Amino acid sequence: MNSMMQTRAAKRWIDWAIIASMVLLAFFMLLPFLWLFSMSFRSVADAYKMPPSFLPPSLDFSNYWAVMTSKVPFLKIYANSVMIALIVTVGQMITCTLAAFAFARLQFRGRNALFFALLVGLMFPAQVTILPIYLGYARIGLINKPIGLALMYLTSSFGVFLMRQFMISQPKALEEAALMDGAGYLKIFWRISLPQLRPALSALGIITFTQTWNYYFQAKVLLGKQDQMTLPLAMDVLRGYMGAGNLAVVMAAMSMSILPVVLLFLIAQKFVIEGITMSGIKN
Amino acid sequence: MAASLAARRSSSDLRRAQARTAYLFVLPTTVLYVTFVLAPVVVTCILAFAHFDPMMGSRWVGFDNFVRFFSDRRSLQILWNTLRFTFFAVTFNVSIGLMLAIALNRAMPGWLLYFFRLSFFLPVIIAAAFVSIVWSYLYGDDLGVINYYLRVIGLPGVRWLTDANQAMTSIIIMDVWKNTGFFMIIFIAALQGVPKTILEAAVMDGTPAWRQFFRITLPYISPVVFFCIVYASIGALQVFESIVILTHGGPGDATRSLSILIVEEGFGSFQIGYAAAISVVMTVLILVITAAQQILSRRWVQQ
Repeated sequence: MNSMMQTRAAKRWIDWAIIASMVLLAFFMLLPFLWLFSMSFRSVADAYKMPPSFLPPSLDFSNYWAVMTSKVPFLKIYANSVMIALIVTVGQMITCTLAAFAFARLQFRGRNALFFALLVGLMFPAQVTILPIYLGYARIGLINKPIGLALMYLTSSFGVFLMRQFMISQPKALEEAALMDGAGYLKIFWRISLPQLRPALSALGIITFTQTWNYYFQAKVLLGKQDQMTLPLAMDVLRGYMGAGNLAVVMAAMSMSILPVVLLFLIAQKFVIEGITMSGIKN
Repeated sequence: MAASLAARRSSSDLRRAQARTAYLFVLPTTVLYVTFVLAPVVVTCILAFAHFDPMMGSRWVGFDNFVRFFSDRRSLQILWNTLRFTFFAVTFNVSIGLMLAIALNRAMPGWLLYFFRLSFFLPVIIAAAFVSIVWSYLYGDDLGVINYYLRVIGLPGVRWLTDANQAMTSIIIMDVWKNTGFFMIIFIAALQGVPKTILEAAVMDGTPAWRQFFRITLPYISPVVFFCIVYASIGALQVFESIVILTHGGPGDATRSLSILIVEEGFGSFQIGYAAAISVVMTVLILVITAAQQILSRRWVQQ
């Protein structure tokens, strides 16, 4: 009896030790972000002063102003990123949901073959599709057009797969009742399936927005001109312009660039995590 | 009789309506998929066997592009870099993710869980291009934050990105910092699916913890482990922006990856055919790794 109580106490002690070390580790994970954020408020003069501060030394926004007035057309680039991400997000929410409804709920010839083909599409990297897309875009004048990048990603195998997983796990009873009452499939999709899918759509929307916001390889190939670029590309250009001295200005641009993604995640981390686990677990 | 005929007709009408709706619904995705995935993949495979020149016209060269790739020391070095990066990035990302998940798979207050999710997942959702710029400053030789603290505790600074023997390790360290949280989240969900009754029975029998893990938990979550390995491999084989931003592929070719070579050959020197061949090599690698893991998982994974 006594020994059992002892082991239980030991166990609780181990639990606390593990949690405490995880807190420390989590703090280390956040350090680069704290550094980035606090650096963006440092004066250019002491950008490299050591030790580095991990909390903003003051609330001086001059670095943010410097980004706007730098040689890089930051606002135009920001607008490009927003436009591409919004078009792709809305596009995928529509195309993926429609396709997923067909795959999850409707019978048609070639259903399994088509779904399998889409899944295989997940495996092909952008590196293997980008050359022909570049050549095709060059012919129809879509190089250096942000809309060209958006066009490529109006649907995704991942999105179809994710939405289908959500739909399959939903009860069919309501739809069957509606079918009995003589409702058409369009009506069932619009009135019954879609309202139930709101959390899934949030997950898909946020994941897609984040992913599109972060594209680099594709953007680097297709968007070379500065005023047609997206933010991830522009950071490297800005870094080049600023030279070694104006690190704080680069970090101000970085803070603004990661802000939408961080905000989205803070607001809806539950949906993001649910969506990601859902796509990973149930194969 | 008449009633059943009517019923049959209406059910076949229903089936036809169903198929019509279905085709309408999959149409946008199918068209986009054929245009932006299927057709380009086929074209790349064809281009890989050609010398493509928009001015002079293209000509077939058979396996020349592949022969060139596999007989060039430089491209072989780059292939080796990519494989090395993939091996270490996958191993560390998945195993550390699993260890973190095990450490966090216990009862804790909600706000603490929120904090953990936030701090381990934030690097996952921020673009590699952004975090690489931050790390390029942290990794600085003389002015870098990491070397400053190393010197504070009396250690010599490390030439993180400028030493040819060190640079790849530095990129892998950043990659693990960035991506391991993704696998942690997946593993936490998987661990929560392990039936509690079996674990409790094992505790009653006095089974030691490590044995519970290897005999019960690991077999149970092994499909997820395999998923993570495949997923991590596909991502790591395509590594691009973290290397471009941290080292530009250098010093020398020490960190250059296949993706960087494709862009340099295809869009820098317009060797489209050669770049296509490298893309095909990368895709074959992905297919081989995926297939190998499928076969292995069929043998080892207990469903």
